[in-house]
Amino acid sequence: MERRDFFKKAAVVAGAAAVGSSTLEAGTTGQPVDNRKVSMVTFPEKRPLIMYSDRPPLLETPREVFTSVLTPNDQFFVRWHMPDIPTYIDPDTFTISVNGLVEKELKISLNDLKTKFEQVEVTAVLQCGGNSRSAFKPIAGGIQWGSGAMGCATWKGVRLRDILDHAGLKKDAKWIGFNGSEKAAYYETPEFIRELELTELDDNVILAYEMSGEDLPYLNGYPLRLVLPGYYSDSWVKMLSNITVTNKYKKLFFMDVAYRVPDNETESETPEKKFPKTKPIKKMNVKSIIGYPENGDKLSLKSHTVVRGVAFDDGHGIKEVLVSTDAGKTWEKALLDDGKLGRYAYRAFRFSFKPNTLGKVTIMAKAINKIGEEQPLSKDILWNHGGYKYNGIDEVTVEVI
Amino acid sequence: MKKLILITALLTSALFAQVKEKIEVPYVAFPIKMGKGFDAIQTNCLMCHSFGYIINQGRQSKKFWHGKVMKMVDHFKAPMDEQAIKETTNYLFEHYGNGKLK
Repeated sequence: MERRDFFKKAAVVAGAAAVGSSTLEAGTTGQPVDNRKVSMVTFPEKRPLIMYSDRPPLLETPREVFTSVLTPNDQFFVRWHMPDIPTYIDPDTFTISVNGLVEKELKISLNDLKTKFEQVEVTAVLQCGGNSRSAFKPIAGGIQWGSGAMGCATWKGVRLRDILDHAGLKKDAKWIGFNGSEKAAYYETPEFIRELELTELDDNVILAYEMSGEDLPYLNGYPLRLVLPGYYSDSWVKMLSNITVTNKYKKLFFMDVAYRVPDNETESETPEKKFPKTKPIKKMNVKSIIGYPENGDKLSLKSHTVVRGVAFDDGHGIKEVLVSTDAGKTWEKALLDDGKLGRYAYRAFRFSFKPNTLGKVTIMAKAINKIGEEQPLSKDILWNHGGYKYNGIDEVTVEVI
Repeated sequence: MKKLILITALLTSALFAQVKEKIEVPYVAFPIKMGKGFDAIQTNCLMCHSFGYIINQGRQSKKFWHGKVMKMVDHFKAPMDEQAIKETTNYLFEHYGNGKLK
């Protein structure tokens, strides 16, 4: 879709909502909430983070962390779905099972994974589909994340393809199901299972046991998680316990009800009239976040400020990041890092800024990827009931004194 | 020499055994409001998730809260009867409502 078409459609949808109701609000968007402080309560292997829940644990990374390409493990966001997650997994006895439509069923130990298969690394962004959900009005149900339900790490492990080759796929194999070890309180609650179609599989899809040089932190899926570069994090199953190959798609709550957007061109709807057909969120759109300065910071007049942040997409790669210091009237190119961590990693950007007028200044950053997709203004993001896939242009307002 | 061996042992074990013992996820006491229907909230909501989930949603309409309760019943299979659904919805709307029915 052409960007022009996108805005044309956006205007039509917004207009329809406004005409159709005088008392009900139309769906609108603004900047996500950005004033939450880190919690006094720290979680295992984590520094203090913004906390929404302890059970299941939900932790958000503060804005200041988004100045560097790799997010430290102890500041990496956390999101679980079920109340019961194993509090101890013995690395010496842990095995991952591979079964279903395979020539031979496997139970692979961590040690075998690390020694009997080719070890590979991929640096990739992990982002919750509901990241920045607090930007949507009226509120889209779910955790009201600010912009920090995302991070970037170097994941080390074994290619899923190598594991499947080792087991030997049967002829009619079509879907791969992944189970995590988190458990619900009730037996009847659907388990957290994801399915991936074999055609979606490439050599970047790995089973990772290491995150930026350390074991996976417990809260990020120790001892093994699925890594699906370019996809939102609901597909990156944590504490992986089982892989099942099937020939039929199995209906699953976390794929058929949750984590879905309207299946129309603009992936949008109005709060009053939900679009009947939906599709999985799957791949990430182009986005950038300013890590420095932060909202409310005070900068000295004529001081040498360096605006810093990170940009990413689903693997097409970032072409450029533009920065505006006059509320979007003019845009200039930021400097990008060398990008040597690959197309799925953050690209760090920086932009020199010497404020020469007193008072409030709004700094904005807009990323454009290599296929020409660019971030819309936050007010042009169209509403969807799950509050997914927000990628509005980030803004921070500072005061020059 | 003994010291050196000890240090080496520590170094090798540190790399791949960060979770050597049971991890404890801290308990957080969220400032949930007391009042009529709180018992139903404690019985039906807390089994699966902390009060953080409730507080985090902000003030919402009755329709929103009813929808949330029904999501728990329909999709997450919370064993709640009509009475429990009514009590939890009313509590949520009374304490975390925005005054609007829809």
